[in-house]
Amino acid sequence: MKQPVESDTICPDMSKTPAAKTLPADPAQEPSAQEPSGQDIARFLSELEQQQLKPSRYADLIGILQQVQQQFGYLPAEAIRQVSRRTKVPLSRVYGVVSFYAQFYTEPRGRHTIRCCRGTACHVKGADRIVDTIRQLLGIDEGQTTPDKLFYLEAVACLGTCFLAPVMMIDNQYFGNLTPQRVQSVLDSYRTTES
Amino acid sequence: MKPLKSANELQALHKNLSRQPGQKVAIRVCSTGCRALGALDVCDALEAEISRRGLSDSAAVIRAGCHGLCAGAVAVVIDPKDIFYQNVTPDDAPEIVETTVVGGKVVQRLCCSAGRRKTSLRRDVPFYKHQRRLLLRNCGVLDPRSLEDAIAYGAYLTAAAAISNKSPEDVIAEITASGLRGRGGAGFPTGRKWQFARASAGEPKYIICNADEGDPGAFMDRALLEGDPHLIVEGMLIGAYAIGAARGFIYVRAEYPIAIEHTTLALDEVRRAGLLGRDILGTGFDFDIEIRKGAGAFVCGEETALIASIEGARGMPRPRPPFPAVRGLFSKPTNINNVETWANVPRIIEMGSAEYAKIGTDGSKGTKIFALAGKVNNTGLVEVPMGATLRQIIFDIGGGIPGGRKFKAAQIGGPSGGCVPAQYLDRPIDYDSVQEIGAIMGSGGLIVMDEATCMVDIARFFTDFVQKESCGKCVPCRIGTKRMLEILTRITNGQGEAADIDRLIRLGEMIKQTSLCGLGQTAPNPVLSTIRYFRDEYEAHIVEKRCPANVCEGLITTTCSSACPAHVNVPEYVGCIAEGRYADALKVIHRRNPLASVCGRACHHPCELFCRRGDLDLPVAIRHLKRFVTDRVKDVGTPLQWPGRREGRVAVIGSGPAGLTAGYFLALMGREVTVFEALDAPGGMLLVGIPKYRLPPEAIRRDIEYIRQAGVEIVTGRRIESIQELRDEGFDAIFIAAGAHGSGRLGIPGEEMAGVRDALGFLREVCLGRLDKLTGRVVVIGGGNAAMDSARAALRLGADSVTVLYRRTAEEMPALREEIDQAVLEGVDMRFLVAPVAVEGDRRVRAVRCVEMALGEADESGRRRPIPKPDSEVVIDADHVIVAIGQYPELEFTASDARVAVANGRISVDPVTLRSSGDVFAGGDAVTGPATIVEAIAAGQRAAMAIDEFLGGSGELPPDAGFASRSKPDEEAAAAPRQPIRSLSPAGRKGSFGEVLKGYSAKAARTEARRCLRCDLE
Repeated sequence: MKQPVESDTICPDMSKTPAAKTLPADPAQEPSAQEPSGQDIARFLSELEQQQLKPSRYADLIGILQQVQQQFGYLPAEAIRQVSRRTKVPLSRVYGVVSFYAQFYTEPRGRHTIRCCRGTACHVKGADRIVDTIRQLLGIDEGQTTPDKLFYLEAVACLGTCFLAPVMMIDNQYFGNLTPQRVQSVLDSYRTTES
Repeated sequence: MKPLKSANELQALHKNLSRQPGQKVAIRVCSTGCRALGALDVCDALEAEISRRGLSDSAAVIRAGCHGLCAGAVAVVIDPKDIFYQNVTPDDAPEIVETTVVGGKVVQRLCCSAGRRKTSLRRDVPFYKHQRRLLLRNCGVLDPRSLEDAIAYGAYLTAAAAISNKSPEDVIAEITASGLRGRGGAGFPTGRKWQFARASAGEPKYIICNADEGDPGAFMDRALLEGDPHLIVEGMLIGAYAIGAARGFIYVRAEYPIAIEHTTLALDEVRRAGLLGRDILGTGFDFDIEIRKGAGAFVCGEETALIASIEGARGMPRPRPPFPAVRGLFSKPTNINNVETWANVPRIIEMGSAEYAKIGTDGSKGTKIFALAGKVNNTGLVEVPMGATLRQIIFDIGGGIPGGRKFKAAQIGGPSGGCVPAQYLDRPIDYDSVQEIGAIMGSGGLIVMDEATCMVDIARFFTDFVQKESCGKCVPCRIGTKRMLEILTRITNGQGEAADIDRLIRLGEMIKQTSLCGLGQTAPNPVLSTIRYFRDEYEAHIVEKRCPANVCEGLITTTCSSACPAHVNVPEYVGCIAEGRYADALKVIHRRNPLASVCGRACHHPCELFCRRGDLDLPVAIRHLKRFVTDRVKDVGTPLQWPGRREGRVAVIGSGPAGLTAGYFLALMGREVTVFEALDAPGGMLLVGIPKYRLPPEAIRRDIEYIRQAGVEIVTGRRIESIQELRDEGFDAIFIAAGAHGSGRLGIPGEEMAGVRDALGFLREVCLGRLDKLTGRVVVIGGGNAAMDSARAALRLGADSVTVLYRRTAEEMPALREEIDQAVLEGVDMRFLVAPVAVEGDRRVRAVRCVEMALGEADESGRRRPIPKPDSEVVIDADHVIVAIGQYPELEFTASDARVAVANGRISVDPVTLRSSGDVFAGGDAVTGPATIVEAIAAGQRAAMAIDEFLGGSGELPPDAGFASRSKPDEEAAAAPRQPIRSLSPAGRKGSFGEVLKGYSAKAARTEARRCLRCDLE
């Protein structure tokens, strides 16, 4: 297990880390048009460091990763490498954290994230049929993005809105008391607005 | 706000602020939970309307937290009058402002019902009336985004007083004396936990608020943080002072954006006000709190995993000891409590431990918040004293189960908890009692499950959840839950093996004993508790390959067809009706059920109970549609004809629904069938047990004609005296479907008097037209369908009054709801909670002497037991008494036969083949005791298949699909409401046995048929 280190800054020695020392690039990871550049990431991490110094005196690796992901939509390999360098947490350990938590993504995702609730109340009220319908309509499985990059589908444990069961969220909008028919009309409405 | 320098300054500020609200009308809109249904739009619309009408000085919209009654979202409370509105939309804003704010009157249509009436007052709504809202007191009242509002309602006064006037030891002593136990699940005494952390060596110390509310189905922590964040912060402030902590963390799920937003805001404001930070209120006490967002790992609810997560590592638990109180966050002494536990702290200090300890049970003090969800009418947040019963929570507060279904179980405690069956509905719920019945209190998620919930599927669901959320550190949890999931999956797919139940128990016990942390140690609970209470459901899946709740996809087609004991292809024939192809619809029905006209009128239609349309508004009126086609299609049509020579002779004893159906299918399969009927006309109980106003003889005749055309010979007026007699006549197989025509007796003095008769005898006389007049006062004893039929028939015969005596209440009556309602509508007087002890009179009955009953605790079925009240006596005058308390088969003719097994007065058979032994098969009421028509039809169908196989055939039923088109009706047509059915006016029913229900018109039938969701096409 990791031995926690209490330190005075959120990202110890961030500024002093030499940016030149790079890890071997993964050849499978061809930079796509969406992928942020190393400089973008470095700039963002520096900004983060400035802001975060105030309230917290503790290493907050998860918090940093969350903010990076919020900025870039996912955690590019390069960002994970830079976070590791700046926080001096070994890359293997940072990656261990990234892969452990369900809400970290190492791949870019569709423009809209559909979170389909699979909580108990939703399950009891037929969530399976809702997920099946979404899967059929979009032609993707949980954890996948549609070819047109419009939707990303994920199943989540519980959205805590059991009174709306069965429920899904598209980005920050809830859709409750769903039926397969209603799912279709909701997805259609997103399609229409986007095209 | 300026930083507050002392407790006195805070006090002064509170006084100042709490004076201000004055008589301004406050419109409190739930803007947290209800946001999902457009609460913010409602706020905007109300605000716009108020400012448009220039009312800003006299009314204000408050974007408050959760009101609790989430089923009524968007929920609005209007103070000072305490008016509660539900299902508010932005369109309602002008009317609310006009009628309530300006006019001081109530908008009736937005009010809740209380019993039969509507009520405008929040405190009179049944949902609130039975609660004790101690922690949720200000949730939904104050504006969670405003510190001033919180202080106006007294926030931080308790903390300030404690920090200024009490020693840390005193605070801990107070918490210990209150008996508070941790609300996160395990229920460890909070005071002791604090004491450990305070006593531990090491600086600094930390406290943590666990808001990683990961249990699916729990949302009380979310509501507290969203609706009253200052309550939690105040609790932590007091706790930090008592323990000597310098820093606190609130670890909250990232899935709760509003909770994060409101808590962040609260912390910023409180810090600015000098209630957090250095030298709080000039007391020299330093303390600050920061928020950490979870990243989606259920295991982080476990305290050591949560600590690892705050430290920035993978959220994996570690062995305890050392406990966090000794070695926790950053290896320092740490105290972790759940949100709801922290919320209790200010209340305890405020009211004093002695007062607090008066709430609750001996071992569990205070209140508990439950998140009520699932198959219950009033979903939402419920706060009750510890020791409330499930019946109070689910029925009194929760408003019971929707859709007329029965309660099956309550799942308490999430994936670590268990399913509590109906028999424990009256057990007071606290930490210890819940554990005794195989669940845990957990965080307080309470999911209500009804007949349409499959317990094996639920066990599989939770196992799937914990298996995915297992962190993988220890083997039993990582691999054991995977193995359990595999077994459960194959059971739900219909591939279960006989030894699977024992395998699950063995594995479950092993995982419980050997896992590292609470997740693994409790992971098997949902499986073990469902096996404990619902083993029969597991067995149905494994042995009969049947899902009794019609849920498991591998075992059902559609819920309606699966719920129909005869498995009629409902969507197919409803689809035909929607297309106007009525003859085809009838054909589809006849492929599984030859008694279409009968079932179209008198079936208890379990298909509708499980119809998915019922989850949206009301189920498709399947029975009425069936009747429509039998009325509409004048030509009964020709059944499928067996082309070759018939082989194998089958004798059927009894021409009720079981016998007729078996005969019909055996004829279709090419057997030579003779049905023997003791009475002069065929039909069995259909003919002599159900009065004509419910089932006209023409309907029975029509169906029997169809069955005859399939090649069934029916011999009436011949009573079979022994089975051997049939063998001697050359029959190769015998199906006993003799029904249950014997009547139960009261076993009380005076039963033999003139004027006392049994319901079956009475109904037989009425149905056969031998009794056409009955005068005087009639008393019917019993609560089943025969009692309702007798009562309604007696009224039609001219009885002056008809009174039904039943020893329990309407809730527990076994008769069909619609029959009870019709009886009441026609003027039958229901006397509940009375049980007869003697029939009085002088050779002829004059009265029935009864004792009053009271309802005790739930029995096995969840119905409350009737208990006689001592020294209570009621005498009810009666000229006639009809006893309807049970029926049993008359099986004398089987007594001498070695191949008929009889147990408990019923024939016992193999549940799948209905074979008793050798050439004897049996089904219907003679096997099950009094049951329903369609269950008898199903028995006939299954017996036909088994007998055909016994005689060397394939036992296959004719195909029943391919009639309707495979396209769904369009959404607009499907949106129609359930079509009403016309019926004879209650006045017109007196003295007439004319059929009560009228059929659908073709237009109504097609509209109704288009409401079908066609689940078969999914």
